[in-house]
Amino acid sequence: MRRTATSAGLFAALVVAIAVLPKFLTDFRAQQFAYVAVYLVALIGLNVLTGYTGQMSLGHGAFMAVGGYTTAILMTDHGIKDLWTIPAAAVVAGAAGFLFGLPALRLTGLYLALATFAIAVATPAVIKKFEGFTGGGSGKNLFGVKELTGGIAPVHVLGWKLNFNNWLYYLCWTVALVLYVVAWLLLRGRTGRAFRAVRDSETAALSSGVSLARYKTLAFGVSAAYAGVAGSLFAIATTYVNPDTFPVQLSIFLLVGVVVGGLGSLTGLIAGAIFIEFLPLWAQDISKSPGAPGVVYGVILIGVIFLLPTGAAGLLRRVASLFRGR
Amino acid sequence: MTNFLQQVVSGLASGGIYGALALALVLIHRATGVINFAQGEMATFSTYILWTLTQNHGWPYWPALAVTLAISFAGGFGVHQLVVRPVERGSVLRVVIVTIGLLLLINGAMTWIWSGEVRSVHSPFPTRTIDMGGVAISIQDLGTIGVSIGVVILLGLFFRFTKVGLALRAAATNPAEARLVGVRVPLLLGVGWGLATMLGAIAGALTAPTVFLDPNMMQAVLIYAFAAAVLGGIDSPVGAVVGGLLLGVGLNLLGTYVNFVGADLRLPAALSVILAVLLFRPAGLFGHRVVKRV
Amino acid sequence: MTRKPIVFVALAVALTLGASALAGSTRATGDPGITPTSILLGGTVPLSGVASAYSAVAVGASAYFKYVNAKGGVGGRQINYKYLDDTYNPAQTVQLTRQLVEQDKVFAIFNTLGTETNLAIRPYLNQLKVPQLFAASGDTSFGADAATYPQTIGFFPSYQAEGWALGQYMRKSHPKAKIAVIAQNDSYGRDLLVGLNRGLGGGVAKVVAAQNYEVTASDVGSQIAKLKSSGADTLAIFATPQFAIQSYVFANKLGWKPFVITNAVSSASNIMLLASEGGQNKTVLGSVSVVFLKDPTDPKWSKDPAIALYRTILARYAKGANAKDVYHVYGMAVAYATVNLLKRLGKNPTRAGLIAAVDSMNITDDPFLLPGIAIKTGPGDHFPLSQMYFQQYAKTGWKQFGSLVSYKG
Repeated sequence: MRRTATSAGLFAALVVAIAVLPKFLTDFRAQQFAYVAVYLVALIGLNVLTGYTGQMSLGHGAFMAVGGYTTAILMTDHGIKDLWTIPAAAVVAGAAGFLFGLPALRLTGLYLALATFAIAVATPAVIKKFEGFTGGGSGKNLFGVKELTGGIAPVHVLGWKLNFNNWLYYLCWTVALVLYVVAWLLLRGRTGRAFRAVRDSETAALSSGVSLARYKTLAFGVSAAYAGVAGSLFAIATTYVNPDTFPVQLSIFLLVGVVVGGLGSLTGLIAGAIFIEFLPLWAQDISKSPGAPGVVYGVILIGVIFLLPTGAAGLLRRVASLFRGR
Repeated sequence: MTNFLQQVVSGLASGGIYGALALALVLIHRATGVINFAQGEMATFSTYILWTLTQNHGWPYWPALAVTLAISFAGGFGVHQLVVRPVERGSVLRVVIVTIGLLLLINGAMTWIWSGEVRSVHSPFPTRTIDMGGVAISIQDLGTIGVSIGVVILLGLFFRFTKVGLALRAAATNPAEARLVGVRVPLLLGVGWGLATMLGAIAGALTAPTVFLDPNMMQAVLIYAFAAAVLGGIDSPVGAVVGGLLLGVGLNLLGTYVNFVGADLRLPAALSVILAVLLFRPAGLFGHRVVKRV
Repeated sequence: MTRKPIVFVALAVALTLGASALAGSTRATGDPGITPTSILLGGTVPLSGVASAYSAVAVGASAYFKYVNAKGGVGGRQINYKYLDDTYNPAQTVQLTRQLVEQDKVFAIFNTLGTETNLAIRPYLNQLKVPQLFAASGDTSFGADAATYPQTIGFFPSYQAEGWALGQYMRKSHPKAKIAVIAQNDSYGRDLLVGLNRGLGGGVAKVVAAQNYEVTASDVGSQIAKLKSSGADTLAIFATPQFAIQSYVFANKLGWKPFVITNAVSSASNIMLLASEGGQNKTVLGSVSVVFLKDPTDPKWSKDPAIALYRTILARYAKGANAKDVYHVYGMAVAYATVNLLKRLGKNPTRAGLIAAVDSMNITDDPFLLPGIAIKTGPGDHFPLSQMYFQQYAKTGWKQFGSLVSYKG
C-alpha cells in the first residue's frame, strides 16, 4: 500500500516537472521535447510487445505509418479535427496489429524480427501505390489546414494562450502520460503476468493455462495501437506525411530506443525516447562531413549496448540501489 | 516467347547476386545463430577495397581480388571478436542492435572515405553477349551464376570434409559440447564471420559491375537476399542460391506480366514471399526443421 | 523499485537546466538572421543515407560563400550558411527547418535539396513569410505556384522544361522515332515524361513504351528487357545517376543499341564515363542531353577563368572535395545568384526586400552557367533558369550544339 502511495507521489512530481519544463525552455526546444513524448508513446507500445511479451518487432514504424495516415486522411479528406483522429488512429493501427499478430503467432525470435522487418520495408511502397487514397509520393500537408488546431495563431486552452510549440508539447505529453498510466495498470495486473509468462517460457505458460494465442495477439494489438497514437501525434507535430516520413530506419530506431531505455521497464523509456530524438542532432554537431553523422551514431549505439547491458533502466536501478545503500 | 525467356535470363542474373549475398547470411546464421543486418554494408566495404586496389593503385584484377578476400576475412573475424563476441551471450536482440549499429557505422564510414559518388568496378568476365534465338545472354551473368554455384559446392565440401568446417558445424549446433571436446568456440565463430565476410566480398564483386558501386549498393540487394535466404531455408547454402535464382526470376515475371505489381510492388512482392514461407514452411525449401526441446 | 522515479525527476530537472542554458538568443534589430556583420542562411541536405551524393550542392555553395567572405562579404556582412543533415526524410526536413527558423533565426531557408522535402516545409515557410530560396528541385510547382507561395522559388530548369526540350529535339531531328522511356516512379520521372510528350506535341515521333523503377530497386534489368521488346529505336533515360548508368549497361548487355536521350541530372560527364564501361559500351556514343552548367571535366573549359576560380575555391574552402563533380559547380552557380540578390538588398536587408528582389532577377553574368544563359524572373514567374543547350556525347565527351532553347513551366 505504501509503495503505491509513494509511486503515486513520485508520478505526481513527474507530472509537475513536465508541466513546468517549458517555462525553462526556448520555444523550439519545447517542440523537440514534444517529439520525445511522441517517441515515448511508441516505445511504451513496443516494450509491451518486446520487453514484456518477448516478441521482437522491427516493424513498428509501419504501425506508426498506419496511425499517421489515418490522421492525415481523416483531417484532409473528411474534415475531422486533429484531436478526434487520435483515438481513430489507435483503433485502426490496433486492428492492423491484432491482424498481423494472428500469423505472427507461428513465428518467434529472429524469424519474427525478419517478418516484421519485411512489413516495415514494404509499407512505403504500398502507401505510394494507392495514390488516390494516400496522396502518393507527394504526401499530405497538414500545415494551415483548418482541422489542425495548432499553427501560426496561438491556441487557447482553458484560458491559456499557447503558441504552436507549447501546444504540441502539452498535447503530446498529456497523451503520453495518460498512456503511460494505462500501460502501467495493464502490466501490473493479470494481463501483465500472462505477458511475462509468455516471454519467460512459452511452454511453461501454456502448461499453467495461459492462452498463447490470446495474449500474443493482444500484445500485438495493444502495442500497435500505441504505435498508431504515436504516428498520429507525429503527423500532427510534423504537419506532413509521405511514404518517406515513415522509413525503415524509424522502425529500427524504435527498437534501438527500447533497448537503450531498457527492456521490461517503463521509466527507462524516457531515456530511449530522448536518444531517438536527440542523437541524430548531436551526431551532426560533432562533424558535418558527409557520412560522419552515420559513423558517430553507429559508434554511440554500439557503445551504449556495451556499457549499458540492461539499458537506462538498469542504470537507474543501480543508481537507486546506491542511494538505498546509504 | 523471346520476351518471356529474356525476362527469365535477366531474372537469373539478378537472382545470382541475391543468392551470393544470401550465402553470406546463411553462413553467419549457421555459425552464430544470428542475422547480420550489416552484411550488405560489409560486402560493399569489401568492394570498395577491391575498387581502391584496381582503380587507384592499378593492380591487376585477380591479385587485387585475392588481397580483398584476405582483408575481408580478417575484417569479418575482427568485427566478430571486437563487437559481436562481447554481446553474444546475452539476448539475440542485443546482437541485432549491434549489427544495426555496424550498418550505420560502416555506411557512414564509406560515404566519409569514398564519398557518395558512383564508381565502377570491372568484371572479370567479358562484357560480350551471346544471342540464342533472340534471347541475349551476357557472359557476365553466366559468370555470376556460375560463381554462386561454385561457391556453394566449395562450401559443402568445406563443411563436410575439413576439420575447421566440421568443428564450425559442431560449434554452431552445440557450443557447450563442442567446448568439451576441445573446440575453441569463440575463435571458430570468428572464422565463421570471416568466411561470411569473404562471401560478401564475392557477392559485392559480382554485383558492382552491373549495379555500380556506391555506399548504398547492397542495401536493396540485402533485402532480396533476406527473402532468398528465407525462401531457401536460412540454414541451407544450396537453398540460398536456389532461393535467390527463384526470387530473381519470379519477381521479373510478376513485374512483367502482372500489371498490378509492375515495378512499384516488386519489393513488397519479395517481402510477401518472406512472410508466406515463414508461415507455411518455416524451414524453407531446403532447410531442416528445428525441433525445440523444453 | 519505487525509488526509480526520483532519479528520473532529477533527470528531468537536469534536462531542464541543460536545455535552458543552451537557449541563448541573439536579438538584433530588423529581420532575423541579419546583424551588422553577418547574414545567416540555412537549409537541409542529405549528408547521410541514399541521397548523400547530392550533398555536394551544399559543399559547393558553402565554399563559394567562404570565398566571398574572405573578400569582405556582402556590404561588410559575412554570409554564414548552416546546412543540416535531413537524410532525405521530409519529417527530418520539417524539424530541422523549424530549428533553423525558430532557434537559429536564419534570414532565409536556402538550397534545401529534394522535391518532397521542399514540399513539406513550403506552407510553413510561406505562412511565416520566411523566404524559401532556390529550392534544389526541378518540380514544376515551385515555379508555377508563385501566386500561392510567393516565398518559394526553385532554381534549375524544371523537369518538365527539360523533357519538353528533348521532345522538341526528337520532333525536329528524329521525326519518325519510336521512343521507349525508363523513368523513376515519382514526380521527377513523371514530370520529365509529361514534358517529353508536350515537346513531341502529337507529331509522328512518339512514346511507344514506358517503364518505371523504384528508387529502392537493386537493378533495372527487367525493365530494359521489356523496353527492348517494344521495338523502340530510341531510349529516353529519366533516372538518377546510378540507374542511368545501369540503363546503358543493361541495354548493351541485351545487345540493344538504341539512340539515347537523357536529362541533365543523369548525364554528368563522370556518369557517362562510367556508363561507357571503359569504351566497351558504344550505346553512350551519340546520346543527346540538355545542359546549363559548365562541366568541369570538359576540356573546352580548361582555360575558362570561372572554372579555374571554381577549382581554386574548392581546393581552398572544401578540402577533399572532388572537383570533377558537377554538383559542386551547381552549388557555386546558386551561391553566385544568392550573393547577387543579397547585394541588391542594400544596407538593411529584409525578408520582404529579398522576395521583391527574387521577383525581379535578371542575372546575365553567372560565370558558372553556360554563356548566354540568364537567370530571369518576374512577379508570378518563379522559374529562374529556363534556358538550356543541347549536347551530344562523343568519344571525347559532351559537345554542345544548336542554339539556346527556352521553356517556362
